[in-house]
Amino acid sequence: MERIYVHPLPVRLWHWVNAVGFVVMIVTGIQIRYVGLIDMMSFRTAVNLHNWTGFLLIGNFFIWLLFYLFSDKIKAYHPELSPTKHFRASFRQLQYYGYGIFRGDPNPHHVSVYRKFNPMQSMLYQVMMMLIVPVQFYTGILLWDVKRFSGAVDMLGGVRVVDTVHVLIFIFFTSYILIHAYLGTLGHTPTAHFKEMFTGYVEVETEHGRKQPH
Amino acid sequence: MATSRGAGTVTRATFKTDFVIAAVVGFLVLFPGTWARAADKPLSEADKTCLACHSLERLEKKLANKETLSLHVQGDAFAKSVHGVIGCAGCHADVNIKSHPAKTKKITDVREYSIASTEVCRGCHADKFKQYEGSIHASLVRDGNPAAPVCTDCHGPHAVSPKAVYETMAAVPCKTCHVAIFNAYAGSMHGKARSKPGESAAPLCSECHSAHEVAVASAGEGRKGACLGCHAGALGAHQKWLPNAELHFDVVSCPVCHAPTAQRRVDLRLYDSVAQKQVSELKGVPQFESRARSADVQGKGLDAMALWNLLKAFNREGMEGKTTLRGRMEVRTGAEAHQLADKTKAISDCNICHREGADAFQSVTVSIAGPDGRPVRYGANKEVLNSVISVDSVGGFYAIGATRIKLLDILFLLSLFSGIAVPVGHLTAKWAFRRYLNGAQAAKASESATDRGRPLPGDRPGGHGSK
Repeated sequence: MERIYVHPLPVRLWHWVNAVGFVVMIVTGIQIRYVGLIDMMSFRTAVNLHNWTGFLLIGNFFIWLLFYLFSDKIKAYHPELSPTKHFRASFRQLQYYGYGIFRGDPNPHHVSVYRKFNPMQSMLYQVMMMLIVPVQFYTGILLWDVKRFSGAVDMLGGVRVVDTVHVLIFIFFTSYILIHAYLGTLGHTPTAHFKEMFTGYVEVETEHGRKQPH
Repeated sequence: MATSRGAGTVTRATFKTDFVIAAVVGFLVLFPGTWARAADKPLSEADKTCLACHSLERLEKKLANKETLSLHVQGDAFAKSVHGVIGCAGCHADVNIKSHPAKTKKITDVREYSIASTEVCRGCHADKFKQYEGSIHASLVRDGNPAAPVCTDCHGPHAVSPKAVYETMAAVPCKTCHVAIFNAYAGSMHGKARSKPGESAAPLCSECHSAHEVAVASAGEGRKGACLGCHAGALGAHQKWLPNAELHFDVVSCPVCHAPTAQRRVDLRLYDSVAQKQVSELKGVPQFESRARSADVQGKGLDAMALWNLLKAFNREGMEGKTTLRGRMEVRTGAEAHQLADKTKAISDCNICHREGADAFQSVTVSIAGPDGRPVRYGANKEVLNSVISVDSVGGFYAIGATRIKLLDILFLLSLFSGIAVPVGHLTAKWAFRRYLNGAQAAKASESATDRGRPLPGDRPGGHGSK
């Protein structure tokens, strides 16, 4: 068993601020959208909290972006250029989560400093961080002050179109965050991945060890 | 309504009229004190001559259409009126006392005579008349609406009062026709304030609608400009507590919140995105209603698909995307728009409008600006605000919570369900597998133990080791 430093401090800070922030965004988003059905807080409080948390998350996004732009750790996000290789590895990973994990098979992905994501994660996180999250921020800013950004809103087809895109991504994040938290329990112990995101250290399998990060 | 004189038709009579008017106006300009003394000035001998006959109450003229035109003038009222100073000849300069009553003067009907007489008013009050010509009142007169007012309907023909008299609750002429609206106004905070003795800061009709250039109140942004004219700090005050305050100011008319007892509706207006203005119906070529009727196949009001088809009809080949729909929340009637309450009673609870099933979204109309500026409306089903089809057709109107798309709600529930079901299902599968594997392992161990107890022929002593 060996401990390697995989998650530097800025990444860990970004991750947890993001995690708490997205939960707040989802909860306040539900309150805003379903006012009258759900009564966790007032509509106005929910809107204000949603707006401020949104801006915090946008700032937080730039912590992530700047860190990776100026660090060699960005290799973790480099895509696998061979589609065959990528999809074969993704299928192996899917097979592990769908079947192998139940049998106690070893995780096919081996974490290293520059390869911390398994093939499925690397694909999802690239799309998410480069497309889904920025689109959500952009639509969120437009909805924050529709009048100020009316030119952009109209160009996109109107406030309802912008809102629909925003809500579709919110719907995606609702299931994503639940499943992401669950997958976090699938390390060699249920708390292993959570600890990693606090300490930055990942326990990896050695020749004699049996522990497997997901 | 004849509102302009034909060029080159200056007759002796009109010349005489113009001369008298010019002389009177010149006199009043040179000696402004005359206005103030007008009420006190006794009638001239010439006026008394006229009144010798016209003060008779039964003096009237039978017209060609069998109507009766009263020729009675109350002498006292005329003497006290602002026009007393110019005398009868000031307006009736065409009357020649020697040949009066003129046998050749033909008046077809009372209305036509009233409309024709406005030319006399224009002679002195050209600026006010020009404003009136641009008003909805004049537009309705031109369209032949018999109820639309001309000068004398508001000012009275022979008892024109000073401006200050019309600016009182008791004598404001608007209430003659707009009874329900005036009653609503009288009960509003504006009306109550105006009724207080010595209080003139609160607006009366003309302060918001103007006296002569009366516009269609339900067109464009309504009377928002008039509200903000007095309440200049309103936007800043709203921005302190209302998210997207400017958007609310654009989309929600002031009475929607400030007349809390009023019934509300959403008006989806056809909007020309190229010209950046509301689409107007062309005079003589009405298209909106016929298109709306043909889109509304069942005749129960436009549903989402019918609305989409209607929009498509306005965006034919070569004009794709030109016409869009812009929503505005407003109160249903003009009377309700005047039931303005004290600001402490105004709606400030977001939940009232943003919750599902909010009253404001139960009534929906689609409209186009009519030729005279007044909206031409067609009813739509309230579901148009919640349909997924509306993402395209009603892209320009959305109220968080209240007009949310049902399909997205279903997707959200599916997402929430899968977010819970995937972990639960995975955990269950994991548990079931472990149980199965443990069972299989135990069975294998038991089988091994049994086998050890009853060695089969050929078995070696010690058997298989455990895994």
